[in-house]
Amino acid sequence: MPVPLLEVRNLKKYFSTPAGPLHAVDDLSFTIGQGETLGVVGESGCGKSTLGRVILNLLPATAGDVLFDGESVIGVSREKLLALRRNMQIIFQDPFSSLDPRMSVSELIAEPLQLYKVYRTRAELTEKVESLMETVGLAPRLYNAYPHELDGGRRQRIGVARALALDPRFIVCDEPVSALDVSIQAQILNLMQDIQAEKGLTYLFITHNLSVVKHISNDILVMYLGRMMEKCSSKELFTHTLHPYSKALLSAIPNPTIDGRRERILLKGELSSPINPKPGCRFAARCQYAGPQCFETAPPLEEVMPRHFVACHRVREINQL
Amino acid sequence: MKLLEIQDLTIHYVTDDGTVKAVNGISLELEKGETLGLVGETGAGKTTTALGILGLVPDPPGRIVGGRVLFEGENLLEKTPHQMRKIRGEKISMIFQDPMTALNPVLTVGDQISEVILLHQKTSHAEAALKACEMLELVGIPAERAGDYPHQFSGGMKQRVVIAIALACNPTLLIADEPTTALDVTIQAQVIDMIGALKEKIGTSMLLITHDLGVVAEVCDRVAILYAGEIVEAGTLRQIYQETSHPYTKGLFGSLPRLDLEVERLSPIQGLMPDPTDLPAGCSFAPRCPHAGPLCQSTPPRPCEIAPGHLVRCHLFDGGAAPKKEVL
Repeated sequence: MPVPLLEVRNLKKYFSTPAGPLHAVDDLSFTIGQGETLGVVGESGCGKSTLGRVILNLLPATAGDVLFDGESVIGVSREKLLALRRNMQIIFQDPFSSLDPRMSVSELIAEPLQLYKVYRTRAELTEKVESLMETVGLAPRLYNAYPHELDGGRRQRIGVARALALDPRFIVCDEPVSALDVSIQAQILNLMQDIQAEKGLTYLFITHNLSVVKHISNDILVMYLGRMMEKCSSKELFTHTLHPYSKALLSAIPNPTIDGRRERILLKGELSSPINPKPGCRFAARCQYAGPQCFETAPPLEEVMPRHFVACHRVREINQL
Repeated sequence: MKLLEIQDLTIHYVTDDGTVKAVNGISLELEKGETLGLVGETGAGKTTTALGILGLVPDPPGRIVGGRVLFEGENLLEKTPHQMRKIRGEKISMIFQDPMTALNPVLTVGDQISEVILLHQKTSHAEAALKACEMLELVGIPAERAGDYPHQFSGGMKQRVVIAIALACNPTLLIADEPTTALDVTIQAQVIDMIGALKEKIGTSMLLITHDLGVVAEVCDRVAILYAGEIVEAGTLRQIYQETSHPYTKGLFGSLPRLDLEVERLSPIQGLMPDPTDLPAGCSFAPRCPHAGPLCQSTPPRPCEIAPGHLVRCHLFDGGAAPKKEVL
C-alpha cells in the first residue's frame, strides 16, 4: 500500500438545527494513499459533500482531525491553511453555478494563480493559462469566452483547470460529472484519469453513481446518514458485497443490459432524519436483517476480511463467514 | 389499430436568434399496453416530442411545422384547445420530471388528486376525495396523508403523488418524462417497480422519456434513440441492446461506465451535439461519427429497416456510403 497522503481521524461534523444536532458526518476514519482514488458513495443527504468540505476545512469540523501529508488541516492559522490549500483543491458539482458569470474563461483559470501570486509577469500567467486550457481540452479560441456561452461539459473543464492551476497534490471531486450527459461524462472521466496518471494526483471522488465510482476508484467508502457502512477495494465491493445497505444499493442500479437480470433487493421506506439520530445502527429501520441489537448499539467498524471494513452486527451471519 | 401513431412530426422554436429545430420529422408507433422508451441526451428533443403529443408546446416561440399525431385514429393536432383539455388528464396524462416543482405548494395533495377527477368525471366532491385517498393507497402512501401539503413529503413520495394524479382517471396513454431522474437509486428502484406494477394493473400504454439506458432495459418493450430531433435507431430491446447498429447508439453504450464489465478506459463520443439552430446539411451525427464519409456530410440518410421492426437512419445501412473501416 502506498504512503497515505491524507488521513482522516474520527472526523465529526454536526450542524445545529432548531430540532437538535444534525449528524452530517459521524466519526469517520480512513486514509488515502498517494496517487490513489477513494470513491465516496451514498444517497442524497448522507453527508458525502459535507465530508469533502470538512476535509478541505471549508467547513469547520466539530471533532476529529484531518492530516494532509502528516500536517493537521483542522484548527490551523489562516496563513497555514492558505499554504495547505495550494495542495488541496476541489472540483464542484454544478458547473452552472460554481463559475462567476462575469469572468471570462481565461480570468477564471488565472484567478487561483493571481491569488497566490505565482507569476511575476503577465506573459508567464498567460502562458500557464493557455497550457492549462490545453491540458483540459479547451480550444484556444475560448480564451475570452464567458461561461454562459459554453455547454456543461466545457464549463466543467474550466472547473477542472481551476483546480489544477496551482499544481495541487490532492483534489476533492464533488460529483464532477453528475450534471453532464453520458457522452460528455465519459469525456470528463477520461480526462480526469489521464491527468491523474500524468501528475500522480490523489482524488477523493464523491458521487451517488456507483458505476462511475467503480470505474474510477481504487477504494470505495459507502456512507449512510453520516456513518461509514463499508470500505474496501473497488473490486472487492463489487465481488464480495457484505453490508446489507451496499447490497441493496448495488441491486437498485438499473443495468443497461437485457440478459442476466439480477434479483433486486427493495428497501423499505426512505432515508430517516439525520437530526438527533436514534442509538443503534443508522440503517436498522430499513434493513431486512435488523435484530434487537441493531436498534440498541451502533455497530463498530470491523475488518471482516483483509482490508475489507464493515459496520454491521450481523455481517458474519448474513454472509455465512 | 395502433393506440398512438406519430407521423413526421416537426416542431421548431422560432426565436430572434434563429429557428431552433427541436424535432425534425419523428415517426413512431405505440401499441396498446406497450411501453416505448424514448432515449436521448439533453437537447435531443425528447420533451418537445411529448409536449407536441399533448398540444402543450408553448406558442410562441414553439410552432408545430408539420406532421400528424394520431391517437386512437384521430389527429390530435387538429383538435381545438377545448377538446384537448378533455383528452389531457383523462385519456393521456403525463408524469413530469421534477416532482419538486410539478405540485402546487399551497394545495393539499388530496385536493390536487381530486382536482383531476372532478374535471373529468361527474362526481361529487366527497366521492372525488374518497377516490383521491384510494389513489394515494395505490401508490403506497397512507390515505391519512391526503390532507398534507407537498413540502411535508420527501422527493420519492412527491413523485408518487404526481403518479397518483397522472393515473387518477385511468388514462390509456401515460407519458412519463424522466420520472426517476431526480430520485436516489434506492427510491428510483421503488418507483420503477411501482410504475411497472400499476401499468399492468390499469393496462396503460406508456411512453417513457429518459436518458438512462439502464432504466429502459428494465421497463420498456421497444426503444427509440433520439439525436438532434431525429430518431436514429429504433427497435425492440434485443435489437437495440444486442444488435446495436447506429454509430451514435454504439457511442452511447461505449460512454457508460458499467457495473457488469471491466473497462479500463471509456470510449466516449467525440465532440458535442450540433447547434439546433444550425444543423449540418447531411447526417446530423456526421461531425462526431467515426465512420462518416463524403456522402454523410452532404445528404441526410433515410431510415432503413435492417431487420423486421429495426430501423436505422445511417448511410452505412442504406447502401450509400461505404464504411471507412470494417468495424461493423
